[in-house]
Formats: sequence, C-alpha cells, structure tokens
Amino acid sequence: MRKIYLAAVCIGLLPAMPLRSQESPYFVTYDHHMEEPGNLEIATSATIGVPRAGQHAFFAPYTELEYGVLGRWTSELYLEGQSTASDSSIFTGWRLENRVRPFEREHWINPVLYFEFEDISEADKIQKEIVGHSPDLSSPNGELHRNKNRELEWKLILSSNPHDWNISENFIFEKNLSANEGVEFGYAFGASRPLASMATPNPCRLCRENFSAGVEFYGGLGSTRQFGLQDTAHYAAPVLAWQVSDNSSLRFSPGFGLTHESAPVLFRVGYVYEIQGLGRKLAQWFGGTP
Amino acid sequence: MKRSLAAAGLVLVIASLALKVAAENKSYHPDLHWLAPESAIARPNPLVGNAEAVKGGKKLFHRYCADCHGADGKGVGRAANLQSADVQIESDGILFWKITNGNLDRGMPSFSGLPELERWQLALYIHKMN
Repeated sequence: MRKIYLAAVCIGLLPAMPLRSQESPYFVTYDHHMEEPGNLEIATSATIGVPRAGQHAFFAPYTELEYGVLGRWTSELYLEGQSTASDSSIFTGWRLENRVRPFEREHWINPVLYFEFEDISEADKIQKEIVGHSPDLSSPNGELHRNKNRELEWKLILSSNPHDWNISENFIFEKNLSANEGVEFGYAFGASRPLASMATPNPCRLCRENFSAGVEFYGGLGSTRQFGLQDTAHYAAPVLAWQVSDNSSLRFSPGFGLTHESAPVLFRVGYVYEIQGLGRKLAQWFGGTP
Repeated sequence: MKRSLAAAGLVLVIASLALKVAAENKSYHPDLHWLAPESAIARPNPLVGNAEAVKGGKKLFHRYCADCHGADGKGVGRAANLQSADVQIESDGILFWKITNGNLDRGMPSFSGLPELERWQLALYIHKMN
C-alpha cells in the first residue's frame, strides 16, 4: 500500500496541466477532434481500482505524449505502470497509436481510423479500453507480468457535434500477436457538452464555460472464439473536465461496474498540458522558416 | 528481443518523420480552394451588436488562435493575416464556416468542438481587429 501512496505522490508532483474546452472530457471514448498540427500534449493520468473480495486495490498511472503530426494525423505514445496493494509496483509496457481522419471537412458523422501497437504485460491495469472478456484482477503481479502481449488494435471512431453536444461511438477490434486468442471486440460510447455555450467577457477559472461534462459507457464483447456478453466487463462513467488554464486541464471520472466481472468502481483522474507550436519551434531549430 | 528492437525502430522512424514534417519550411499562401458554401456565406451572426460577446471573443481568440495567428492577428508562419483585406471582406458566416471546418491539410484545425455561440464570438472579434 505504501508503494501506491508513493506513486500517487509522484504523479501529484508532475507539472499540472489544465484542459482546453476543445479537449474531450472522455478517458476511454475517442471523438474526431485531432491534436492541432505541431502541438504536443502531455497528459498524466491514473486508473484507480476498487477491489472485489479476494482482490487488491490498484493504482495504474500512465503518461501520454500526443503530437499533431498533420491536420489529419495524430500520433500518441503511452508509457504505463501499476502498483497493487500488498503486491508490487511495475512498469507494464507501452503503446503507440495513430489516428487518421479520412475526410477534411466536418460532416454529420465524422469517421476516424485508429491503429495501435501495444507491447504490454498482462499485469497492465490502466484499462484504456475494455475488450474481450474480463481482465484478471486477482492474480499476483509476478505471475501476470511474465506474460507479455504484443497486440494490434483497430478502432472505428464515429463522432458528431449536434447542438454543442459531442456524441461519439468507438468500435474496437484487438488481435494478440503473442497468443492465439482470436480477435477480441469492445465498444465505447460517449456524450458530453460544455456547461456554458458562450464565453464571458472577463477572465475566469471557475466559471461554467471552463467545464464540460458527460457520460461514457465502455465494455468488452468477447472474441471470435466466444462472442457476446458472457464473462465481460462493462462500465458506466460520468466524466467531468475543467480547463484550469489556457493550455491545461483536469479530468475526473468514476466508472461504475455493471457486471460481476467488472471492478465495482474505477476512478480515473488526468491532467493534460499542451505545448503549442512545438512544430514551429522545431522548424526554427532545424533551420526552417517558422 | 528482435521484435522489441523492430518495434523500437518503428517508433524511431515515425518520430523522425514527424520531426521532418514539423521542420518543413512554411509560409502563408492563401488557399483559393477553401471556399464556404452559399448556405454558409449569408448566415447571420446571432451576436451582432453584443459588445460583451466581442470581449468574450477576444478571450477565446487569445486562447485558441493567437498562437498561430499572433496576438494581433497578423499571422505567424503560414497562418493567415486576419487583418488583411482578404479576410476582413469575408462575412461572419464565412468565418464561422472556416472556424468550424478548419482547413486540415493546410494546418488550420477544426474548432467544431467549441459551442456554436463561441465560434460566432470569434467571428465577431476577428471583424473588430482592425
């Protein structure tokens, strides 16, 4: 348990970053908004699991580095770890994702194609997405960490912005290259909106325009070997984002397990900081015209 | 081990490509094909005459636009000079459409995630810039 506290303190010492209202409040669901080209977003988040009987509480922090390569191409690197009460703290792996927007203009429904490679151990508990059947939250880290998984993941992201709302649907497909598990399926749906529709004339931090709220639902749908809801985890999670400053934000979401295979509660917290114009600064360093 | 090395190599290739794209020489050239449809051109700004909305638009401009277009809107690198006659002649409806859709292949992001009235506030403020 002491290690969990230490990890929490370390996360708390990282430089804080607030959300821009353009930023999505979701933790699991993706919408169609890409990182602005040349901007680097650094996010530090954590998933905190409340255990069922026979399980241990865990704290799973992760860092995201998201870069807008082009207007329609965003790339993101994740570094992940976890700390389990009465067990150990470990680095569980990394993942690299790329999101590509096929259409340039806004439409009623905006598709985004998502490709990801993961190199993580079975001890990974950030639960960035839920696929297949319920994850193993009972076995000790030493046992789970021996099983390394290299996985490919695809998502079809569909997203709309009707009347200041965002409504997003993600359909997830995952193939483990390290074990013959078939293709696993999952889903995530989210709806959110800012709490105010106009900016006030004066600077403010706690006014409604700096908050957005919503709800997301996510879970697994089995695999090609056993498709369906049997032995799968599902969550309903209210989400809240607060834009702390012009380039940073905080997010919070308690996710409530809907099935016996789900954790009773998954708390998620995140802090995002955006470095604007990194591309231009790099251009200057590399001798280009800013 | 070989797979890990291959994966690390892939990360390096993608990072190098990203750096190369970021380091390209860029300067502003108007996109003559970035044209709002007829239905957008005549769309009236529901906030016209609202001085408070202009002030809010200024705040939004500094948060979302100033990094590329400059605090005075005159443009940085390949971002447009918003004080230029080419931009100022455009209706609020055109600016609203451009803010909403962006011009992703030319580096202008879409701001459709902002509430509609905030996008109208931005259009209002841009027309007050000069």
